[in-house]
Amino acid sequence: MPPTTILGLGHRLPSWVVTNEELAARCGLGADAMRSPVGQRYYAEPGIGPSDLAVEAAHMALGRAKLEAQDIDFLLFATMTPDVAFPGSGCYLQDKLGLGTVGALDIRAQCLGFIFGLGVAEQFVRTGTYHRVLLATAEVHSTGLDFSPKGAPVSRYFGDGAAAAILSSADGDRGVLATVLHTDASEYERFWCEYPSSRQHPIRITLEDLAAERHYTRIDLDGLNRLAARLLREVIDETLARAGCRQGDVAHYFLHYVDPGVAREVAATLGIGRDRATATAERTGHIASASLPIALSQAWSAGAVRAGDLVCLAGVGAGINWGAAVIRL
Amino acid sequence: MAESEQRRARILGVGHYVPPRTVSNADLTALMETSEEWIVQRTGIEERHFVDRNIGAADLALEAAHRALEAAGTRAADLDLLLLGTLSPDIDFPASACLLQRGLGVKGMPALDVRNQCSGFLYGLAVGDAFVRSGAARRVLLVGAEVHSSGLDFSTRGRDVAVIFGDGAGAVVLGPEERPGHGILSTHLHAEGRYAAKLCVEAPSSRCAPRIDEEMIAGEAGRLFPKMHGSYVFRHAVTRFTEVVQEALAANGLAATDLSLLIPHQANLRISQLVAAGLELSEERVFSNIQRYGNTTAASIPIALDEALGAGRVHPGDLVCLASFGSGFTWAAALLRW
Repeated sequence: MPPTTILGLGHRLPSWVVTNEELAARCGLGADAMRSPVGQRYYAEPGIGPSDLAVEAAHMALGRAKLEAQDIDFLLFATMTPDVAFPGSGCYLQDKLGLGTVGALDIRAQCLGFIFGLGVAEQFVRTGTYHRVLLATAEVHSTGLDFSPKGAPVSRYFGDGAAAAILSSADGDRGVLATVLHTDASEYERFWCEYPSSRQHPIRITLEDLAAERHYTRIDLDGLNRLAARLLREVIDETLARAGCRQGDVAHYFLHYVDPGVAREVAATLGIGRDRATATAERTGHIASASLPIALSQAWSAGAVRAGDLVCLAGVGAGINWGAAVIRL
Repeated sequence: MAESEQRRARILGVGHYVPPRTVSNADLTALMETSEEWIVQRTGIEERHFVDRNIGAADLALEAAHRALEAAGTRAADLDLLLLGTLSPDIDFPASACLLQRGLGVKGMPALDVRNQCSGFLYGLAVGDAFVRSGAARRVLLVGAEVHSSGLDFSTRGRDVAVIFGDGAGAVVLGPEERPGHGILSTHLHAEGRYAAKLCVEAPSSRCAPRIDEEMIAGEAGRLFPKMHGSYVFRHAVTRFTEVVQEALAANGLAATDLSLLIPHQANLRISQLVAAGLELSEERVFSNIQRYGNTTAASIPIALDEALGAGRVHPGDLVCLASFGSGFTWAAALLRW
């Protein structure tokens, strides 16, 4: 079975830049109170959903691949912040791209949406089920954040954005050499949002739940950081081994975790220099499913990676999900 | 490997679970202005199952999964991939598949949700099928599970939608097919997002700031409840169901006369009857159990498949078509040689 390759990659960050000072003010804190490993983040304008950001990322990816929307025969959308409760954001993107009656699969894999989506798309391409798959990832976190002094320690990490990749059969030695996907849900409450909740009866969320702020994301960063660092290191080793590569063969590492400081620390522990590693949340915040492909697309635009380079994308996030991909661009 | 040489996937085991509490049409007439006659005449539904307090989709999924694993002779620890189709997740995040994984007492294999509404099971089946055919997985658990009852408007305002849905879960275990010509022959997935608003739940919505507020929860518009343009959905369903079954048959060089059993997503008995008529399939070649379960969206096909097997209506060598249509719009089919 032929490997799968990325024919084109695109990204879209909203134009509204939110600095740490601005976020501090919004949360009712002094300018110096927002010490954050995230430099800045981008917020979508009101009324803009993940599918709107994804349309722009998809057009950029199509342009780079020199393809038209009509060349796509399957759409896969990964998000944890869908446009509406249902149907999935893939349906909205499918319409906005004018894809006729092409199938649109929505998956939910939280921060690992891109790697899990790549794992799914890869099987469709390798088996010949679909030939040109558009994998879209997008999040609008900003509408779900707690902008109070109490919420600031979590909200400071999150940002909005989208990325899209067009996947097809590889020619030559380019393509996805290995994907590794893992879940261990035994402590999923370390990073979660409980409400709305179908297990709450008679109704999934009440005014009381809202007043008690049960609809906000909770993260136990102290408990999670050490685990995240270990899982990132392990999955990089596992994926390189499966790809038959050594650490030094990789031109650039893209490492994603909600706190970019942890991703930096992992790179340092593995002896990967700063010039060969991107901690994806550093400059754009945590955009969950879209963080890794946005960083890869930005690096591609900047000429930091180019065709023929071996890259490794690795991430860990809510679920707990973790995984990695090694790709010859 | 050429496509024709790929080893196919098959369904190794099926299981289902519905919560014990049954709710009759008469029970619903106590909550809203409706009638037993109206519900039966329009939908064919006589009763449905609702969970009791604090049971979520993954709880139902776990029961169905245990039964499917037992039927397949598979241990949960041997699963390479967990897929869960739902539109009524237990919590906002992570995915209900994660909760299912913890319930099964296993870890390590990826767990993800498929969020494709009534077509969730067949979209998930296509994913699982591709993982098995490519060799990336040898054992895949796919569950469709829904707890609708915590998301319905049981006042007279919501009666057109609330009477339709039921809670339940169905599961299959997928693995490689050893017998030539058998297993999952093909899958066919479609969507048409221009009709997204015809059957949807509009809130919470990440494009609204804030995503959820008092008005969404308690306002007159009932924005947390499903909205359905019934006649519109009905008309499209009949057309697309028929079309996608024919597409699946044609892709394999087969015709409706070759079909042993059609198991449609249990959306509405009247839809299934019109699809059967359009395909010239006699009543015994179309499976229906919506009378007892209502519409359980992603769970309906595996529940129906399990009951069809239990009733002796599927035999080795039979040609079985699974088909769905629903919110999105999404629609799909899978053709299997049992």
